[in-house]
Amino acid sequence: MKRAALILLLALAVAAMTSCSKQKAVTLSLLVWEGYADPSFVRVFEETHQCKVVASYMGSSDELVAKLRGGSASNYDVISPSSDVATTIAGSGLAAPLEMSRIPSYPQLSQKLRELPLVRINGKIYGVPFMWGPNPLLYDTSALSRPPESWSIFWDKKYRGKISVWDDLSTIYMAAQMLGFDKPDPGALYNLTDEQLEQVRKKLLELKPNVRKMWATGGELTNLFQNHEVVAAMGWPLMTNQLRKLNYPIGETIPRENTTGWMDHLMVTAASEHKELAHAFLEYMIQAKTQKLLADVTGYVPANPGAAALMTTDEKKSLHLDDPDAYMARIYFWQDVPRRNKYNEVWNAVKAAQ
Amino acid sequence: MYSRAYKAAVALPPLFWVALFLLLPYSLLFAHSFWSVASGAIVRQWSLHNYAELAHNWMYAQVLFRSMKIAGAVTLLALLLGYPLAYYLSFCAGPQKQLLYQLVIVPLWVSYLVRGYAWKTILGSDGVLNGFLQYLGIVSTPVEFFLYSPFAVVLTLTHIYTPFTFLPLFASLEHIPRHLVEASQDLGASPRVTFWRVIFPLSLPGLLAGATFAFVLTLGDFLAPLLVGGPSGIMISNVVVSLFGAAYDWPLGAAISVCMLLLVVGILFAIERLEKRWSFH
Repeated sequence: MKRAALILLLALAVAAMTSCSKQKAVTLSLLVWEGYADPSFVRVFEETHQCKVVASYMGSSDELVAKLRGGSASNYDVISPSSDVATTIAGSGLAAPLEMSRIPSYPQLSQKLRELPLVRINGKIYGVPFMWGPNPLLYDTSALSRPPESWSIFWDKKYRGKISVWDDLSTIYMAAQMLGFDKPDPGALYNLTDEQLEQVRKKLLELKPNVRKMWATGGELTNLFQNHEVVAAMGWPLMTNQLRKLNYPIGETIPRENTTGWMDHLMVTAASEHKELAHAFLEYMIQAKTQKLLADVTGYVPANPGAAALMTTDEKKSLHLDDPDAYMARIYFWQDVPRRNKYNEVWNAVKAAQ
Repeated sequence: MYSRAYKAAVALPPLFWVALFLLLPYSLLFAHSFWSVASGAIVRQWSLHNYAELAHNWMYAQVLFRSMKIAGAVTLLALLLGYPLAYYLSFCAGPQKQLLYQLVIVPLWVSYLVRGYAWKTILGSDGVLNGFLQYLGIVSTPVEFFLYSPFAVVLTLTHIYTPFTFLPLFASLEHIPRHLVEASQDLGASPRVTFWRVIFPLSLPGLLAGATFAFVLTLGDFLAPLLVGGPSGIMISNVVVSLFGAAYDWPLGAAISVCMLLLVVGILFAIERLEKRWSFH
């Protein structure tokens, strides 16, 4: 009797497996930042292209590079590297040069972004500009009635155990800004000397008693606010957006020291087996209509200015599309960090310290 | 007698398994620990550079020492919880023994992650425990060290690994011949003397096995510090994770792993010798 039951079970399992393989919809795998695969826009693509879009999320630029280099490049078709690692990825053969004829909406994208040298190598284009934004200071408006004017509140004894910072090099840049290393040239943040990094390390060690938890994913920081574990943090506009939708009293500001930020590109991996579909996805993602939906979800600024035509005045204002240049001037966009290993070493030392 | 062909046929699959899933990965790990990374690629040049880095930069020793301290605390607590439990089940539970045994095992069916998140809900500032304490008026503001602290890490790991100490303890207590206990009682020994002179020495192999499980598994843990640990509580496996997953420094990560492996193998060897000495056969 037992054996009969077992055979039945096996037969069922085999039947289930074969019935799955019959449908065999193509799967497009993404390794992107959180918010870039929301069903509100991905579903339409899945339906029109008869495919399935599966997204994994990355917690930092370093994670993306380490995953691609570690041999999982073939697991992903589309990636969304930021301005700090885009050139590295394009230059190391991990991404495929794009066939621009398959991306007809490309000329609609902001000329300023298209002309950046980030993803152009030997005359080939490896990525399409996608979204950009800052790493703003998020704060709980029920704990801080006025927007903090400076990142220095992170060091304020009043907020001991109430601060969260990103488990990412961005926190190093922020500390370096506090030490004034961004003057006169903000680009210096991405090429600090050993001596400056040592000062940054000390500055961050002073910050540690105030840090409740370092966040590694966007969802984690949202939870930290919701559970009243922290009252201020460095985050992304995505989290502000998500917390506002939950009616959480969240404020977002760029303090007087300004902040770092990123320009994300979409790329197709060199190892992708669905390059045609991946190009179609890139095209879909930069169309004005999709970019508007993306801005709704993330609160990031779309690379396609056409998206603004689909927005209300308030929406445009909240994305600073009424004066994008002034907004951009307050963001020191991530750049390639030549000594990224050294930066990571300093960051690890900060994390490992008691 | 079995034929030679039969013996070979039986021996081959496990050998193949061990070679493919143990020897090969360990050799790769070992080899990586002598290589290095240059401009984003792993260079297969043999050197002791990674080990020199580990010896030179005392951050690694510091984190390893912290991990061992946490593992030691968890082992002690898991034994303090697991031993009375196993003793009660083996000697006092009577007809409920099977049921209670299953109840101890049930938490093992729940995923580690779920249990980690459960502790987050219990210990958080808005959590069950803080809510209860505030309701009772014992504290006015949430107690912060409950979560995102070494305390939370030790508590979570103790909860997770207590069944691992319980199982071998229970097995060794069950194997103690009851006539030895009766003989001790017949000869007029008090319950306390019977426990310390008869039962406890005979349960030592189980105690050692349980302690080893708890210590070794905790030492290599990285999820608890990630989920409930504070900004200053990372353990050695978190360093390995970040070396592999973010810094793309596989060689240095591999070197730490090799050191950990040697440490664990050393512990296992020492325990095995102790076990031999203390077992009563």
